Amino acid sequence: MSNLTRITENITIQSPDFGELEVSPGNIFYLENGLLGFENLNNFVLITDDDIAPFKWLMSIEEPSIIFPLVSPFLIMSDYKVGKEIDLEKNVLFVVVTLNDGKGNVSANLKAPVILNSDDLTGEQRILITDKYNVNHIINNTK
Amino acid sequence: MLLLSRKKGEIITIGKSVQIEIIDYGRGSVTIGVTAPKNIPVHRKEVFDAIVKQNQQAVATNVSALKKVLTSVQLEDRK
Repeated sequence: MSNLTRITENITIQSPDFGELEVSPGNIFYLENGLLGFENLNNFVLITDDDIAPFKWLMSIEEPSIIFPLVSPFLIMSDYKVGKEIDLEKNVLFVVVTLNDGKGNVSANLKAPVILNSDDLTGEQRILITDKYNVNHIINNTK
Repeated sequence: MLLLSRKKGEIITIGKSVQIEIIDYGRGSVTIGVTAPKNIPVHRKEVFDAIVKQNQQAVATNVSALKKVLTSVQLEDRK
């Protein structure tokens, strides 16, 4: 299923990782442009899993096998900054985490945070203009 | 591909809302000024490509693999 419409009704999804999930529209974030490289996936639910806290999963409603591991950038850098135009009262920030570089590194994409607006349940992955942050910022100690 | 020669300070327009100006050039690089509406993101292609690659790697993460590496992750405040 690929569409550009916002899901506005309760929906039951089958997740390969988490089983059957009932999701209400109040928990669905609509990302008009998807995530970069995944522009055709637009409805997502944020999954809190105690086993991986403080990480969370961003799961596609359209393709429930697609889950992005996320973490708050402020846990990586307490002075992390996005532009002033993003109201942190209304928006929750996350960064996408990767652990598949083949070298045992866990990295976070500080350059392109996922911004979820808890007011109107929209979201986007925004590329920050600054050169301060890396796409692959390593967050683990492989020693 | 359309090829256009431009001098310093000259502009190319794309549609009604995008303008590209040659600001400066020399020593193997060109400085370009892009004016575009907010809903048209403008980025260096290599940055864009790196982010797409990172996202593709991220979705390949399986749940148990993430649980395993968590202990090695260093965060500022593990609430």
